[in-house]
Amino acid sequence: MELSEFLLQMVSGLQRGSIFVLIALGLTMIFGTLGVVNFAHGALYMVGAYLGYVIIQEAGHWAAFIGVPILLFVLGIALERGLIRYFYKRPVTDQILVTFGLALVIQELMRWIFGGTNLPYQLPTWAAVPMDIGIGFFPPWRLLIIGVTAAVVLALFLMFRYTRFGLVVRAGMRDPEMLKLLGVNVTQRFALVFGIGALLAGIAGVMGASTTGLVPEVGMDVLVPSFLVVVIGGMGSIPGAVLAGLLLGIAQSFTIMLYPPLTDVILYVVAAVVLLVRPRGLLGLKGVAE
Amino acid sequence: MALLDVHSVSKSFGGLAALSNVDLQVEAGRAHAIIGPNGAGKSTLVNTITGREIPDTGTVTFDGAPLVGCQPHEIVQRGIARVFQTPEIFHDMSCVENVTVAALAHRDGAFKLNFLQHPRKLRAQRESAENCLARVGLQDKLDARAEHLSRGDKRRLELAICLANQPRLLLLDEPTAGMAQHDTQGTVEVLRDLAREGMTQIVIEHDMDVVFSLAEQITVLHQGSVIASGSPDAVRENEAVHEAYLGGAHE
Amino acid sequence: MINPLRSESVQREAAVMAGVVAVFAALPFALPLIGGYGELAVQMTAWAIFALGFDLLVGFTGFLSFGHAAFWGVAMYASCLSLIHLTPNVIPALIIGVVAGTLVGMLIGYLTLRRYGIYFAILTLAFSQMFYFIALSPLQGITGGDNGLTGIPNPLFFGTQLGDWHQIYPMMAVIAVGAVYVARRVARSPYGLILRAIRSNETRLQYTGVNVRGYRFVAFLLSGAFASLAGTMLAMYETYVPVQSLFWATSGEVVMMSVIGGLGTLFGPMIGAGVVLYLENVLSASIEQWLLILGAIFMAFVIFLPGGIVEGVARLRRLVLSRTGGDTNA
Repeated sequence: MELSEFLLQMVSGLQRGSIFVLIALGLTMIFGTLGVVNFAHGALYMVGAYLGYVIIQEAGHWAAFIGVPILLFVLGIALERGLIRYFYKRPVTDQILVTFGLALVIQELMRWIFGGTNLPYQLPTWAAVPMDIGIGFFPPWRLLIIGVTAAVVLALFLMFRYTRFGLVVRAGMRDPEMLKLLGVNVTQRFALVFGIGALLAGIAGVMGASTTGLVPEVGMDVLVPSFLVVVIGGMGSIPGAVLAGLLLGIAQSFTIMLYPPLTDVILYVVAAVVLLVRPRGLLGLKGVAE
Repeated sequence: MALLDVHSVSKSFGGLAALSNVDLQVEAGRAHAIIGPNGAGKSTLVNTITGREIPDTGTVTFDGAPLVGCQPHEIVQRGIARVFQTPEIFHDMSCVENVTVAALAHRDGAFKLNFLQHPRKLRAQRESAENCLARVGLQDKLDARAEHLSRGDKRRLELAICLANQPRLLLLDEPTAGMAQHDTQGTVEVLRDLAREGMTQIVIEHDMDVVFSLAEQITVLHQGSVIASGSPDAVRENEAVHEAYLGGAHE
Repeated sequence: MINPLRSESVQREAAVMAGVVAVFAALPFALPLIGGYGELAVQMTAWAIFALGFDLLVGFTGFLSFGHAAFWGVAMYASCLSLIHLTPNVIPALIIGVVAGTLVGMLIGYLTLRRYGIYFAILTLAFSQMFYFIALSPLQGITGGDNGLTGIPNPLFFGTQLGDWHQIYPMMAVIAVGAVYVARRVARSPYGLILRAIRSNETRLQYTGVNVRGYRFVAFLLSGAFASLAGTMLAMYETYVPVQSLFWATSGEVVMMSVIGGLGTLFGPMIGAGVVLYLENVLSASIEQWLLILGAIFMAFVIFLPGGIVEGVARLRRLVLSRTGGDTNA
């Protein structure tokens, strides 16, 4: 394998991984703060993708890139206020069940509205045509995905580090009981966290729809690898999610090139290996599991 | 030879030394109390004995056999039963079910694939459970759901569960914490009865009245180290103990 | 919840089992009367045993598995491959199906049972999906990939070909009744009590001297054995194994059936399976969005009636009895 080929696959892997990272970040934030495993998170990605499809046709691409995350943010808050918050006191299994049901309902709603076939997701022409990036030809759009993801990770980092909200969320992820004792209004924060998580999924959806396909099943299709990313990276660990997401993306990219039949399976193999060798995940906190 | 021999046990969490070179010997049939201000390391010590934590250095020997590295359930099967600071019970099961589980663990060991065994074979265990419950004064609450019990009763239920394991050493982590006066007296009565029957006990306590009415030996922990160990009178007179309790870290 | 400490008289147990036998016997005849058809009884029975096994794990230990399709699907493939390549006899196929499913369960169990609660649900989902993808692509030479496994001969039962549902249903019904009996025995055994204790307070159970990990593992396997048995029976009847049998939606379906029926009651999930299949077959003919409706119904149960149909009936009964001044403890 030549160096340029290798590098090209790495870039491709980073792009793949970026989608995982965006979804996994939302998942891990929601889990870390609210303690809820959001089985409907993939559905949020899917809603973002479908909304993007509609808005692009009506109002163009930029409207979609800005509009979808905002709409998903609002949707996230609505879901948290309208449904999720009633489940904080209920057993964990009930939370999982209700978000699973939600995922299914949203999936089938999309199927009802848009049908089951793969919808063509229109990209702007400048973005779709592969351009020469030195090591080969690569669609600018996919580079944009990497860029946007990096920007999002940076923004999240800044938010967690330098804003009061971020501090509260981080503290809540480590010790929610303590926060309540300190009198911090945790529930308000919850809605915002869920909203942000949904927003991240929306960004992933509107940007990634062209790469993952646009069918109702895509929600669950991206959810399972994203769950793996969260578990491999370490539940509740943001850097872990980023690291694991990129790792899995790259692993999958090379598998496509070297041995395509294992493309989907490789994720699970990596997950199994990591779990056997390091059950708490790559950057997970000790004592979070087992 | 001591039934339980803790020798030079140290345990650190991060930079904090929770236990430093702790020695503890408990003779069979004796009641031994461990006291000390908050943060002294008492719970950590109990955790290292019961397998919840693994000490960094040192040995823990029970009846001649080493305990370090054993799984908690193995340690229980060897004869050490433990009561937790906040009562750990099977909250959605009845009292008699709670204790029957322990009786079963005693009969069947840590793991037995008896998934086709007929319920009638449980009768002996159920009787044993009822006896243990009567022992702690819960004979009128056999079918009551555990979560509906008062705090004091939950503690007694936990004690009954331990008794059904037929342990040789009973570890009690603040058994009277949060109890009203009459509850405390009732618990002390039961523990004294057990002591009289020869049950070896280690009691962690803050309530000095309880300590002095139960213990034959007292070990005082302070900031992870043993600062005194001996008979209740000796400890009462001890300078270092006075320092720790009344001078510096007084709770 | 079946309680091993409540004295179960032999008569009561016999009456319950007689009822079970009656239901399975009457099912193919009753179905056409309510808009269904006799053949549906085959599917209902298979899914009922699937759900029964699921309940033995989830209803008792509280570990929510989203990967039971792995047992079901792998058993299907294994048993049918046995029919094709080894011998068309039904007994070896059944055994091979159950063994294969359980072996897969050991692998998944080993990987996932080190972590519990939330992680367990995700990981079981993930690793059963792995088997889906394995069947779809790398092993498609054996499994038929996207097309599923075809070319399966009708199973032979001591020389008789079991081709028609009239022939296969009696065998399935007998196996099903046996499975229900075993499940009830398991629930009422000391092992069953310990499973409930796992759900109640793992820490306390550990410190009572019980090897919780071991029991968790066995619970998972036992549950999987039931699912494998159910899958095997259905596949041998249909003489076709769709790759969807390994897909997460299949796991999701048994979850929904069990919750709708009522987890922890053994009969609840079986009833749930029957109800869901009945509605699916009767409604999906006229309504295209059947899955949407099922999802909505499921959510409604989770939100408002998490104890399922069984709890609903119990509540209704209490309501009626209290209104008529009857004995609510009857």
